[in-house]
Amino acid sequence: MTVDMDVMIKAIDVNKEYRRAGAIIRALADVNLTIKSGEFIIVQGPTGCGKSTLLNVLSGLDFPDSGKIIFDGENIARATEDRLARLRRMKIGFVFQDFNLIRTLTALENVESVLWPTVLRSSEIEDRAIAALRDVNLLERKDHYPVQLSGGEKQKCGLARGIIHRPRVILADEPTGNLDPQSETEIMDLLKKINKDSETTVIVVTHREKLASYGDKIVRMKDGRITNVK
Amino acid sequence: MKLIVVVFGLMRKGVLLVLREKKTFMIFTVIYSLLIFLTSLFLEFAFGGELGDIALYLVLIFIVASLILSLLYAWLLVNRNKRNWATLKCIGYTNGNVITMLAGIILFTAFLGFFVVIEILFHYAAFFSYVFPNNEASDNTLIGLLPAVLTSITFMIVQLISIALIYRKILKVRPIVALKKVEA
Repeated sequence: MTVDMDVMIKAIDVNKEYRRAGAIIRALADVNLTIKSGEFIIVQGPTGCGKSTLLNVLSGLDFPDSGKIIFDGENIARATEDRLARLRRMKIGFVFQDFNLIRTLTALENVESVLWPTVLRSSEIEDRAIAALRDVNLLERKDHYPVQLSGGEKQKCGLARGIIHRPRVILADEPTGNLDPQSETEIMDLLKKINKDSETTVIVVTHREKLASYGDKIVRMKDGRITNVK
Repeated sequence: MKLIVVVFGLMRKGVLLVLREKKTFMIFTVIYSLLIFLTSLFLEFAFGGELGDIALYLVLIFIVASLILSLLYAWLLVNRNKRNWATLKCIGYTNGNVITMLAGIILFTAFLGFFVVIEILFHYAAFFSYVFPNNEASDNTLIGLLPAVLTSITFMIVQLISIALIYRKILKVRPIVALKKVEA
């Protein structure tokens, strides 16, 4: 198999089923998708169409029942848990809908936490965290705890945590789902800026139609299938 | 060398996390201190031939209690912060990284218990030396250093056993939990 250097993630014939209350739910059905390096992808579709499942299997958080996930040239569909953890630490930045900040850590410490299991010196980790917080315009709030931050600020902190390790891909699951319209625009603009400035591949799962304008490519899903890519 | 740097770094961060959970940390530190104190005291009795076999039985009971306590502590740390651990796994922490942080927390709490006991014993000795200055120093010590240190070493080993036992619990925390929506 030849590896296209320009391809960041490739899903090949991916299937995934869930069993819920005795019924089998086909979350992903024969999904084929190619995401190139530096692309901004928006994944859209109605609730339960398999968007989040797709994000989970692309990032190695969940395993497909069949098919391959080629991430940066490596098939991760059957990789070990530790291998996947290291892959996420080195190449993937996550942005969560519910922010997932640790409430007992300051904004700066939350951002730093990604690099704690590395051999980097504390001073270097702090420098990188400060740079990441500056990139998302949150530096002046670095010593605040999550409870002292607004929703938009929490998501900026989450975004800074997602970029501190300079990932190849940022995966965002409904990143503006809990935000007001102004913060939504700010976060999406920041994601777009990161995508342009550092050529980071960005994949955003969202049900909001108006965010489609941010994407270079829009992937529409229904009943576990990709119905349209444009 | 790199591994040691990462391990100590993560243990330090684990301690940072737990120091901010003041209530749980204080409660467990006090219980550990009490258990170390009682175990050292009865070990002292056993060395001195006082109380016969009862002293040794009590020492064993306290050691088993410390194992149960540390299992409970680890279980609480994992269960009450499951979403945090899942988030850390999601952003790239291996199971080993998470268990290292937990080990840092548990060992630090037990270690602090040891220092609290040593502090109490010093103050006890100082108080009696002051009140009864004509007594010999050996009469002023409630527990000798040897039983206290032996107890602490035993407790540390017991903590390591409990950390090994809790590893399965860490394996069960799936990173995907971090993506589950929080109910309003």
